[in-house]
Amino acid sequence: MDSLPSRPTSRRGPLAVVRFLGLVLFGALIGAVSALAAAAFVGAVLALNDLLLISPRSRMMFDRPGLLLAATVAVPAFGGLLVGLLHRAIPEQRPHAPADVIAAVQTRRGRLPARTGGLSALSALISLGSGASVGQYGPLVHLGASLGSLGARLLRLGRSDDNITIACGVAAAIATAFNAPLAGIVFAHEVVLRHYALRAFAPVAAAALVGYVIATSVLDQGALFHVADTAVPRPWEFAAFLVIGGLGAFVAGAYMHAILSITRLAGTLPLAPPLRPALAGALLGLTALWVPDILGMGQETLRFATLAGAFGSAELLLVLALKIAATGLCLGMGFSGGVFSPALVIGTLFGALCGSMIGQFSGAPQETFVFYAVCGMVAVTSPVIGAPLTSLLIVFELTGSYALTTAALASVTLASPIAAQLFGRSLFDIQLEGRGLDLSAGRGRAVLRATAVTEYLTHDCVTLHPRSPVADAVTALSRARHGEGYLVDDRGRYRGCVSLADLEAARESTMRPACVGEVATLARPVLQPATSLWDAMAALQEVTGEALPVVDTAAEGAFQGVVYEASIARAFLAQSDELRREEHGSG
Amino acid sequence: MALDDKRRRWLASTLWLTLIASVSGQADADTLTVLSWGGAYERAQQAALFEPYSAATGTHIEVAQYDGGIEALRHAAAEGDGAVPWDLIDMTRSEAMAACAEGLLAPLSPALLAPAPNGTPVEQDFVPQAFGRCSITHSIFATVVAYRRDAFPGKRPDTIKDLFDQQRFPGPRALQRTPAVNLEWALLSYRVPHEELYDLLSTRRGLDLALGRLAELDDIRWWEAGDMPAQLLTDDEVVMASGYNGRFFDAMVNRGAPIEILWDGQVQEHETWVIPRGAPHPEAARDFLRFATTTERLADVSRHIPYGPARRSAATRVTTHPDSEVDMRLHIPTHPLNAERALAKDEAWYARSLGRIDDYFRAWLEAQEGK
Repeated sequence: MDSLPSRPTSRRGPLAVVRFLGLVLFGALIGAVSALAAAAFVGAVLALNDLLLISPRSRMMFDRPGLLLAATVAVPAFGGLLVGLLHRAIPEQRPHAPADVIAAVQTRRGRLPARTGGLSALSALISLGSGASVGQYGPLVHLGASLGSLGARLLRLGRSDDNITIACGVAAAIATAFNAPLAGIVFAHEVVLRHYALRAFAPVAAAALVGYVIATSVLDQGALFHVADTAVPRPWEFAAFLVIGGLGAFVAGAYMHAILSITRLAGTLPLAPPLRPALAGALLGLTALWVPDILGMGQETLRFATLAGAFGSAELLLVLALKIAATGLCLGMGFSGGVFSPALVIGTLFGALCGSMIGQFSGAPQETFVFYAVCGMVAVTSPVIGAPLTSLLIVFELTGSYALTTAALASVTLASPIAAQLFGRSLFDIQLEGRGLDLSAGRGRAVLRATAVTEYLTHDCVTLHPRSPVADAVTALSRARHGEGYLVDDRGRYRGCVSLADLEAARESTMRPACVGEVATLARPVLQPATSLWDAMAALQEVTGEALPVVDTAAEGAFQGVVYEASIARAFLAQSDELRREEHGSG
Repeated sequence: MALDDKRRRWLASTLWLTLIASVSGQADADTLTVLSWGGAYERAQQAALFEPYSAATGTHIEVAQYDGGIEALRHAAAEGDGAVPWDLIDMTRSEAMAACAEGLLAPLSPALLAPAPNGTPVEQDFVPQAFGRCSITHSIFATVVAYRRDAFPGKRPDTIKDLFDQQRFPGPRALQRTPAVNLEWALLSYRVPHEELYDLLSTRRGLDLALGRLAELDDIRWWEAGDMPAQLLTDDEVVMASGYNGRFFDAMVNRGAPIEILWDGQVQEHETWVIPRGAPHPEAARDFLRFATTTERLADVSRHIPYGPARRSAATRVTTHPDSEVDMRLHIPTHPLNAERALAKDEAWYARSLGRIDDYFRAWLEAQEGK
């Protein structure tokens, strides 16, 4: 262990304090930029919704019914076409989202691409502005994260600090969008960083605070929802809240699977990718002529779902199912946007459904109706984003009601673990797993999995031709002071691995093999260039020897070099040390 | 003192301009013609604005009366080939918005107004949305609910929700036969936040929810003339009624009716000053406008009639009625105690959607009356 890089002394003292304070100030600055960007984004979406006849207010104020019907279908369809065309300019042909932020931070890559970030924000703006059933918080989180990462690159900060500035941007975006600084801080930790470290906490808190101050005092925007002083639920109702939580996990599962399976289906459609969101938009608009509640982010639907009597039970079920389908369609077919706002609406509708059914059976007055709506909301949103604490804090900071938060706590207690067991930690994690990044065992494994062995590849090894004489091989190995040689034929293909001991034994034996190729080779697993450090470590468990050969089977088994066992072990220790410093270091 | 200097210089230049104007053949500015509402309202303006202005400047003010509406202005502008007989008009904000859109009014800038006595800038001192493109709000009146003090022994309504609670507050109600105000109150009774109200009323679901609440009330007396609600309350024909706060004040203070105003959920509307395009003395009119919207003058108007001054600095300076010695602060809609849960009527929304809302309301009313 003494060979590990350790600098405990250099991390304390006045210089370290100044550096740390600098990082906190920088976090606050990123918070301000991210908050202003978030506020501008939200304002632009609202303005577009008014201009494009998406918001109910603008629809009511527009007095040409025929044109209104045409716009309801044409606006989302055209928006979809624009979005589809815009996505062709992104390397992956899809908008980036919070999942990409999580991947960058969990594999300690950082460095979110600025151009893709800007394009994703623009396409999300068009999606939301033209009424697609998608959320706005995902794009805000990604926008904040991209700004944070850009800031880190401008100051030439290291990757560890890059991750912190990403978290700062995320926290400020959430704090601004929800007027909820605590939720912003916790979201950045719970969803993005996934560990708690004082070193990250202070800059993130500063960013969230600045975001909150800008949201409330400079922009003077209202809260997402208000709940006036409510009645206190009776004790038995807490049991109902628990059950709502359990059932909500399944609603969340249905919602996530709708998005994932429509995404898969869309890939098999005989339709050019840019046309897919246009088709989704047209279908959405047609359905909205019948049920307008599914259009856009659904602020009004969210509010109505918290009012007893605004929907009948059958209507709740219908709007709930249609909203899940509409969001799955929009996101699956390639609109750009988040999953949180639709989940808020779906969850609240689900809670309202439970509330009105319980009201019907128990005959109780509906003064605690809003509790059911909020419980449903938390039960669905928390599994989707994988953030039970954030969901609770959002409820607490928006309503200021301890009774409501306690009820939400009851609901989230069952919702989160059930959904995590059945579906995965969050929609983001499921999406990343689909792309080959498994975060279920934490950051340590994710980092090792994201590092390819080729980073540790070396050509400092002895290659032998299978037809060269054994004696020459022994000499070559002894000169190079290596115990193992790798057989590579005329065409550069890997043919096996021989040890010096075996070669010497062969030279002394009575059989006297004429060339190296006739000496028995060692059983040795081979690595691919794309093999991750994690898999290389697994392969090492069955090997005693110096190194593992890297062979490109795609290029007919071409030998690329070797990775020494010692360098894999060193890489592992270095990674663990970095993580430990990030999580436990204070300055 | 610097302010006074500025004002004097400004006045001087105004007079100079007026002089030039009169030399160049226009009517002289010894007299300003103001179009206003007549009655108690005009008497209040006479005492608090016109007389003090004449005393300070020597300009005589002649008052013409009207009952609102912009037809007269439209007609005058067409007849007089652009010239109209009035220098200033006292207009409701919604009419000012319509007249401005038709190009009947001269643009007005808040820059011509005087700051508050403590130096608060005009933009922060006036209530939100006081400045239109062609209008400046000077007073605010409200549509409120009033109830008979003796109708509910031991309790009194304190939220707008109580208007719809006939179990706790039994008895007939009188409501205006319009969708405006009724829809707002009905939806507010579900405790939706004020800022979302008109968004929610823009949906079929919101309208149905509001009308559903109105339908729960039995025995609604629908009124149309503005003096009806106070009369119905005084005659004990209803126990709660909606109406204009000035009328209720009159019944309460001047006629001793046993009624009380419920300020929660009051719907505020703006009274504005406008200068018509083609006014004979636009510069003198602007000078009057600056004088009439100072904190001191606005507070004085509110001593005579229970209209809220458009300036926050004036709302707290309102004192007693000069004749009856009633503390007027308690009776004006913008006093902080009364305005805590006030609702600003969304006039832009009504301007564009009243037709559709009205049709919907009338169809509902007919269906109700058919039952």
